[in-house]
Amino acid sequence: MAYLVQPDYVKYTCTCGQQKPITNLYFCRHCLKIRCSFCISHEVDSHYCANCLENMPSSEARLKKNRCGSCFDCPSCFHTLSTRATVAQPRQDPAAGDAKVENKQSKKMYYLLCFNCRWTSRDVGIPDQPVATGGWPERVNPFNSRVNQLLDFYKAVVQQEKQEKLDKERKKYAIRGKYITLTDKTGLTMAMARNIAGLPSSEGAPSSAIANFVPSQASAEWQPADVARLYPLARPLSVKRSQRCRLCDHNLTKPDYHVPEVKIISCETLKPGATCALLLKLSNPTAHEMQITLVDPAEVPEHQEREEGRTIEKSLEKSLCLEKDMSWLEAVSRKVDVTSPLSVTRPDVTLTLAQRDDAAEYDDDAHTHSDDVILWRKSNKLALRLQVQVAEGAVEGPGARLPLALRYSYRNTVPPASAAPLVRDHVLYVAVLLDLGQVYAE
Amino acid sequence: MAHNVKILPGATVCEDCTLEGDITIGGGTVIHPRVSIIAEGGPIIIAEYCIIEEYSKIIHKKSEKQENPPKPLFIGAHNVFEVGCKLESIFGHIGESNVFECKSFVGTSVRIGSGCVIGAACNLTAPQTLADNTVIWGAENNIREALEKQPSQVLQLDFLGKVMPNYHRLRKQNFHKRQPSRQSQDGK
Ligand SMILES: [Zn+2]
Ligand SMILES: [Zn+2]
Ligand SMILES: [Zn+2]
Ligand SMILES: [Zn+2]
Repeated sequence: MAYLVQPDYVKYTCTCGQQKPITNLYFCRHCLKIRCSFCISHEVDSHYCANCLENMPSSEARLKKNRCGSCFDCPSCFHTLSTRATVAQPRQDPAAGDAKVENKQSKKMYYLLCFNCRWTSRDVGIPDQPVATGGWPERVNPFNSRVNQLLDFYKAVVQQEKQEKLDKERKKYAIRGKYITLTDKTGLTMAMARNIAGLPSSEGAPSSAIANFVPSQASAEWQPADVARLYPLARPLSVKRSQRCRLCDHNLTKPDYHVPEVKIISCETLKPGATCALLLKLSNPTAHEMQITLVDPAEVPEHQEREEGRTIEKSLEKSLCLEKDMSWLEAVSRKVDVTSPLSVTRPDVTLTLAQRDDAAEYDDDAHTHSDDVILWRKSNKLALRLQVQVAEGAVEGPGARLPLALRYSYRNTVPPASAAPLVRDHVLYVAVLLDLGQVYAE
Repeated sequence: MAHNVKILPGATVCEDCTLEGDITIGGGTVIHPRVSIIAEGGPIIIAEYCIIEEYSKIIHKKSEKQENPPKPLFIGAHNVFEVGCKLESIFGHIGESNVFECKSFVGTSVRIGSGCVIGAACNLTAPQTLADNTVIWGAENNIREALEKQPSQVLQLDFLGKVMPNYHRLRKQNFHKRQPSRQSQDGK
């Protein structure tokens, strides 16, 4: 369950141990594993402007410093600027005197306006333009020649380092992924990507203290200290990405059609030492019948990617002196913490969920099947009633999390690689963490 | 409370709105449905060419230091009150060409000049005076100064004046302009 602005109440555990809402996860249909943004390789497909949706080939994007030629952001609040039209009043020339003739020549002039903070291009003295898009004066970086000099120098350095590296690697025959990674294309390293993703990397100044500099730093070439010198910022381009599994290099899909979805319907107030009812909704998004059993999170078999990787390499690639770089795994993987003051009594039943049937949405007759565990059933969904025990010593406060694991049957529909045997039915595990809210003392 | 609503010629006032107390609505002003204008602390005078959108509330609050007779609340021309904004000023005068964006709130002790913009969902509660052309925006109530007044919504007013009568029941104008008295109103 994921919301646009609300906190994520149900988090799934990725193969690498990161906990994320299902909307932020991917599923590899070849490894049959959940992947998150940290354990996949990101590949740049194309550049485009998120505002005008124009595509731009990457060479052109590089030339334009990854910015759109016709869209601008507000230099003061970074909202997208809108183009406004005014009818220019032709200047009354007292010498000419004939106002009627001039009125006929009055034409539309355009300026840029921010609807958020009401900044306008007139504020900084940019003249109104006769055309709606483009034509805005481009400013030249005062240090242009110096920057180019430095660029040339570092290009030479890169060239030299590449040559040295190539010489070294010629002996090693190391393979890299077949596909160009984000790092290759943009120079964005994993650490930088992590920073952008909001992961703490180093202790820095609190962002509020430097907030005043933000508009100034946004136009890095000029860094105006005066608000009157804030010029519109050409809008940075976005990239279309495709995600690939780091282990098998296949394209990934969203888990929405492969992993059973867990939603919280309701939960009674949590009190230390008490037992309270928790209602969950499970749904089977696949096109096949699914057997689900609740298991102890500790029972979830540890993912053994490293071992798997090795065995394949041993048999095939090791003999060819090929080794796949697995160092990323160490950097991202983490141990899942399953200790919690909350525990759940797991009903000793296997729940069978029918396949997803879009037409069933329109059926009126709900299968009101009801017993101790199953509250109701309807096509591919069912509601579970579980008992949650809160430990005697549970600390009062928010963020009471209940770890839960599901074992489910999964039918693989991807045709296997030529040599491999066809295995259609699999038993997979998924660990979820439910945020049940606050523990209240008596 | 005495209900004494004067609607000047050229004003477009929807029937489905709450007008309580002594209220004067200037020509060219458009008042959308579901607007509340409550003059409990004294008369409210709205000048020409204002747009007051749905769910806006303009309240002339009763104050402790009420003068007798009560001072009117005068709202200048070309003000725009966007959907769901609330104004509770007890000061006698609001300038012209201000924009009160959606869900903004202006409390009792805020003085507002001309050409100001109170951004969407911005709350002004502390006693303060907004100088002309002040723009308040964003969740942190950032302040900046605009170089020029907000452009007037002449086209929008024209359009509303033409379209509103087709879709809403309107209040009839009930006050006829008399040149000298109008001038004295404007001067307040
Ligand atoms: Zn894979
Ligand atoms: Zn992961
Ligand atoms: Zn664009
Ligand atoms: Zn802005």
